[in-house]
Amino acid sequence: MLQRERIPLQLIFLQAALVVAWCFTDVETGPGAGVSTQPNGDRFKIEGRAIVPGIKTQDWVSTARVLVEGEEYVGFLRTDGSFAVNDVPSGSYVVEVVTPTYRFEPVRVDITTKGKMRARLVNYIKTSEVIRQPYPLQIRASGPHSYFMKRETWGWTDFLMNPMVMMMVLPLLIIVLLPKVVNTNDPEMRKEMEQSMNMLNPNPELPDVSELMTKLFSGSKGSSKAGSSSKGTRPAAKRR
Amino acid sequence: MAKLILLWLKCVVLWAIVEAVFEDQVGKFDWRQQYVGKVRFSHFDTHVQSSKKVLVATERNVFAALNTRTGELFWRHVDKTGSEGNIDALLQHGQDAVLVVGNGRLLRSWEINVGGLNWEVVLDSGSFQSACLVGQQDMVKHVAVLKKTAISVHYLSNGHQKWIENLPETETVDYQAVYSDGNGEVYVLGVVPHSHIAIVVYSMEDGEIIKQVNMSVEAPWLYNIQASCVVVGQGMLTCVDSAGVSFYMLDLHLQLQMTQVPLQSLALEVDPGFHPVLLSHQPNPARQPLSEFFLQLGPDHYQLLQLNNGQIAAMRDFKPALLVSFATTGEKTVAAVMSPKNKTVSKCEIERSLPSRPVFSSRAFLHIACSVNLFSAETGRRLLDTTLIVNMDPNGGKPEKLYVQAFLKKDDSVGYRAMVQTEDHTLTFIQQPGRVMWTREEALSDVVTMEMVDLPLTGTQAELEGEFGKKADGLMSMVMKRLSSQLILLQAWIGHLWKLFYDARKPRSQVKNDVTIENLSRDEFNLQKMMVMVTASGKLFGIDSKTGGILWRHYLHNVPPNAAFKLMVQRTTAHFPHPPQCTLLIKDKDTGLGTLHVFNPIFGKKSHVTPPALPQPILQSLMLPLMDQDYAKVLLLVDDQYKVSAFPSTKNVLQQLQEMAASIFFYLVDSSQGRLSGYRLRTDLSTEQIWEVIIPPEVQKIVSVKGKRPNEHVHSQGRVMGDRSVLYKYLNPNLLAVVTESTDLHQERSFIGILLIDGVTGRIIHEAIQRKARGPVHVVHSENWVVYEYWSTKSRRNEFSVIELYEGMELYNSTVFSSLDRPHAPQVLQQSYIFPSSISTMEATLTEKGITSRHLLIGLPSGGILSLPKMFLDPRRPEIVSEQSREENLIPYAPELLIRTEWFINYNQTVSRVRGIYTAPSGLESTCLVVAYGLDIYQTRVYPSKQFDVLKDDYDYMLISSVLFALFFATMISKRLAEVKLLNRAWR
Repeated sequence: MLQRERIPLQLIFLQAALVVAWCFTDVETGPGAGVSTQPNGDRFKIEGRAIVPGIKTQDWVSTARVLVEGEEYVGFLRTDGSFAVNDVPSGSYVVEVVTPTYRFEPVRVDITTKGKMRARLVNYIKTSEVIRQPYPLQIRASGPHSYFMKRETWGWTDFLMNPMVMMMVLPLLIIVLLPKVVNTNDPEMRKEMEQSMNMLNPNPELPDVSELMTKLFSGSKGSSKAGSSSKGTRPAAKRR
Repeated sequence: MAKLILLWLKCVVLWAIVEAVFEDQVGKFDWRQQYVGKVRFSHFDTHVQSSKKVLVATERNVFAALNTRTGELFWRHVDKTGSEGNIDALLQHGQDAVLVVGNGRLLRSWEINVGGLNWEVVLDSGSFQSACLVGQQDMVKHVAVLKKTAISVHYLSNGHQKWIENLPETETVDYQAVYSDGNGEVYVLGVVPHSHIAIVVYSMEDGEIIKQVNMSVEAPWLYNIQASCVVVGQGMLTCVDSAGVSFYMLDLHLQLQMTQVPLQSLALEVDPGFHPVLLSHQPNPARQPLSEFFLQLGPDHYQLLQLNNGQIAAMRDFKPALLVSFATTGEKTVAAVMSPKNKTVSKCEIERSLPSRPVFSSRAFLHIACSVNLFSAETGRRLLDTTLIVNMDPNGGKPEKLYVQAFLKKDDSVGYRAMVQTEDHTLTFIQQPGRVMWTREEALSDVVTMEMVDLPLTGTQAELEGEFGKKADGLMSMVMKRLSSQLILLQAWIGHLWKLFYDARKPRSQVKNDVTIENLSRDEFNLQKMMVMVTASGKLFGIDSKTGGILWRHYLHNVPPNAAFKLMVQRTTAHFPHPPQCTLLIKDKDTGLGTLHVFNPIFGKKSHVTPPALPQPILQSLMLPLMDQDYAKVLLLVDDQYKVSAFPSTKNVLQQLQEMAASIFFYLVDSSQGRLSGYRLRTDLSTEQIWEVIIPPEVQKIVSVKGKRPNEHVHSQGRVMGDRSVLYKYLNPNLLAVVTESTDLHQERSFIGILLIDGVTGRIIHEAIQRKARGPVHVVHSENWVVYEYWSTKSRRNEFSVIELYEGMELYNSTVFSSLDRPHAPQVLQQSYIFPSSISTMEATLTEKGITSRHLLIGLPSGGILSLPKMFLDPRRPEIVSEQSREENLIPYAPELLIRTEWFINYNQTVSRVRGIYTAPSGLESTCLVVAYGLDIYQTRVYPSKQFDVLKDDYDYMLISSVLFALFFATMISKRLAEVKLLNRAWR
């Protein structure tokens, strides 16, 4: 019989397992909005207008909502884009217009106990900083939400600009072009080159890796295969 | 400058670990279903003949327009939860819908074509009684709202108040209804209970009282006008009295005396114990109501009556009839009657489905099929060719409401469509002659708990698995078995290929792999699972996680309205031939009494296993990792006498329990007394208290207790530091995170506390207090960390705090963890962050082996589900960047966490009122399945560390194959060239 969920019994014995299960122990959820339930306190109205430049209001108002401090107070948008959130007691609130398509910046609205309103930029770090905003609120959409990442598309320029490719292509160019530019038949030049080669190879006793490889391949499969194996160092080996 | 560098670093890090949806992945493995909730009011949009809208206002404070052709939403407006968003009334006129919201606090008018708000006005305080549209000269321009003490009239065009009047004698009279029939008067009907009716007539123009009738109309039997009276015909208030078994009629225009008409005189008889109900119809608020009306005499007995010159005449008797409804189109009004077809399911079937409880309603029989017929309202004659067959779901509930959309056909006859609402909150829209156009399972708007169950293996897969499970009996037979299973595989593969080939020839639209229960099987990576969802109404659903299709549904008939549910998977699908088994514990929150429902999660069928009856209130239930001989995990139930019972309770299980008893611990929480207590099981299945923690309930109360998930795996025991040493995690599987909130809610003195307690020993590992903070607190507890979110009253913002526990540089006992033997207290690290939004719920991703990095899934009130890498909530984030911290890939500390819309896993598919997020591992280590539920349900997959174990779906096969081919040809050509060159050289 197949038993996928085998239980390490010894483990259970040893570790004095507690099965952490907790369900019907009646724990109530939080007290909800503690402050908002003042009876008979004065209630005020937050008003404003949301604008999406270049889009007709009919096309987006049905998906929009005005959220005051999370979902503590909810308002809806009129067909002209204006809104009013009723029944808000005095305090300081973050007012947000949310739609799935457009991005609106939140605004903080302060209401004094006498009903004076003030709107300012939301700054969660310096909470007392005041940068005034117009009231009644004028909230302009700053464009559509960007939900998606761009796929990396494959293009020739991307391929060529890849550092690895550049590292491969440049030495190749040098190898192909340099012998054409520099006259290798000149004996002085040859001497100089040999010197520089020796400088590059600090320990002449150590066998050259590329040479080793060429020998290895040519030994088994004929010399023709080796041409493709290590392009960078091959010509140097040949020269010698 | 330093700041700039920090910012730049942050950006780099952000980009490096960004994990988002690509646009071409939309709808590939995710789906969303939107719901509205149980319908309270519904109106068909009739002002345009071809309109496809039906307006619904629901008990979940949602107002929406549904497409009658498809059942999809045109638009939906989700108000606040609770009584402040409660919809009291829905009135529709033309393209305006007027709603009274929040016990008469707000009056809103919606434009139903666009779904935008026309206007919203605040009404004076006072409890709402009734509302109606008021018309004059065939024009409807006003709406009247009746409150306990006042009546106000508002213009429909802009909501401005026309007049408001206080009602007279409100101390004695209980005003309950408002009525108008277009003659410029508004009638307010009130009652002095057990004494008389009071009527106040207001002039529409200025709110002047035209006439006031009190004391004269005796009605000692009446206490609720709306329940027992309707206005019929030319302003005749008609009431029915169940005690006196008679009609009482009062002409509202004359208001002289109530005339009594005994029901017997009309040869009508009320079913014993039934309170008769009247139903009338006012097609146009500017006109008088119809003079025909329905009287319900019994649960399945209706009578159509007509009022003619003050005389009531019986027109037609409907028995059996389940539901009746009026509908008007143009000038014609019809009555629709829904009656059962003679097939009925006997009562015993339901009783068998839940044997532990008696069936509450004595008439709980189900009709498999019902038929709806239209009758002319004027004559009571049946209209020809109007029968519509409604097939009721045997696993559903009784029909509860019938809404009829009537329309005129080309030949001037009346056609109709019907929307049937059943007890289990299902809406079914049916067209003649019985074609179901759509069904909406509104119970899914209130999912309480859910589990994901692996799908079963197919027959062939099971056969293959069986090969390894069985005992070996010789070399030869093993070889034969292997060969035969390989043959089966080959056969299956060929079959698959053939199907692919066959499907490829068909046009794409026809290729639709319909998932039914029969062809369900586990896929390669176990990405497709069965979602078992439990809803508050007591309806259970089995949903295919890949498509979102509902594969089975089962309505539990006698679930108490305030029940708490706990769903447990006792046996998974891994134990073929034993069927998988789920157990649902349903507990009445008031009495604590519980019942068990045992079912097969794949087919939704009730299991043959009889669950034990639970006579005592249940305090706690726990699933043990023990199994009985049939591979069912053992469920322990602790009752209020602290006695433990096991399910299944076979001898084998009891024996195992006795052996294991010394190592089984559990804990109980009593939040009202602030008591947390730990218990141990004794061998005789009694319990023994071993620890107790009292949190004084006067100061703070326990709001939640979170343990770790039992199926969670942690891959790495520690973290490698910058200097190559290892910091070991404190991985206590028995750790509980207890969250408390202060009872004092003053913003200077309120606080929240978090306690980390070992559930076995009761040892307090850590305690933290967050001052000037209040709830609601959301907690996620996993691995060696606890993340919680709270509201800071001082700075008026939401803050996250993370606690991580480490054992230190060396591990005390690296093989096993025992709570009883851990002498060193763990190191505790904590850090807090600002979060720029409030949150609805929070959960952590979960993968098969725990190798993949963790993300937090945060449900926001805006409907987005944010996937926040746990990396950002790491108490080791340094304030000053050092070489070592860079080596460890720690992000420098920044006080504010960012919300980036690219991290929304549900892009624009917002999920309203997220209530819970369920995460489940899949067969792929990189992939975690996520279900967010609330008003909507959204299912998707997330890849917290990207897809490292499968090829990405944008993998460029073209590129790799073209490069391969190019290289291949290049070698061929260069070989040839080299040969030529060699040859040339040889000749030289």
